[in-house]
Amino acid sequence: MQIITRQVEGKPLTVTIEYPEYNESTMRLIQKINSLDLRFSAYDDDKQIRIELSDVYYIENVERKLFIYTKSDVYRFDSTMPQLESIISGTQLVRISRTCIMNTDHLKQIRQVKNSHLEAVLDNDEMLIVSRKYLKDIKRVFKG
Amino acid sequence: MKKILKDTCILASLMILAVFAISIIWSGVTDEIKLILQLFLLALIISIINNFFDDYLTVSVIMSYVVKYFAISGVVMLFGFIVGWFYLSNFWMAFIYVGAVLVMAYFLDSFMIKKDIEYINNKINSRG
Repeated sequence: MQIITRQVEGKPLTVTIEYPEYNESTMRLIQKINSLDLRFSAYDDDKQIRIELSDVYYIENVERKLFIYTKSDVYRFDSTMPQLESIISGTQLVRISRTCIMNTDHLKQIRQVKNSHLEAVLDNDEMLIVSRKYLKDIKRVFKG
Repeated sequence: MKKILKDTCILASLMILAVFAISIIWSGVTDEIKLILQLFLLALIISIINNFFDDYLTVSVIMSYVVKYFAISGVVMLFGFIVGWFYLSNFWMAFIYVGAVLVMAYFLDSFMIKKDIEYINNKINSRG
């Protein structure tokens, strides 16, 4: 793969992808680039805020309401789990339990607590419970 | 190797279904075909139960297998009574069949979980 970069003044950041044939690698690359531009419209009380994907630590479904957790703040996010899952496809966000989606970029470690449940430790030292069912999905993100 | 084994099982299932589906046209639903269809139906029910427990049960690995053992044994017994596999004299065999499958599944599951955790943690460490 060849990477060509050039400065073009007065134009927005543009990524052009040239490929000999459209295959899975090309599709994944496009998804990855698209994900870099992904932002969530969330609410802090009634104030609307745009949150970049990289700032999201995890998204939790609490009594059918979604909440976005950043390093130290929580925002309300008006969406549903199925809608959210279609948006995050191909990104570093992955479902880790029935109610939680985690950003693997902030994952520090996965551990099994004495033959008990699985835990994901994030880089802000928060811990999330991981359902064994979704461990394969986390692995898939790292396989890229 | 894992993928080959998985593909083999899927292919075998498809072959069995295809062969018996064609046989139904020629010879109707014989006892053998009925047994195969019943096994597929039972497998579907067990998969749904397993999926449900994986989503809603947040207990230890051993405990989840114990809960699954009793739930699945109950379902197998009930299903067995309905389709005529079990009688009052041999229904306890469901506990042995389910136990044997779950013991194998438990060891395989524990091994795979350890390998997956190791893989993910290695990837996290290598990204620095």
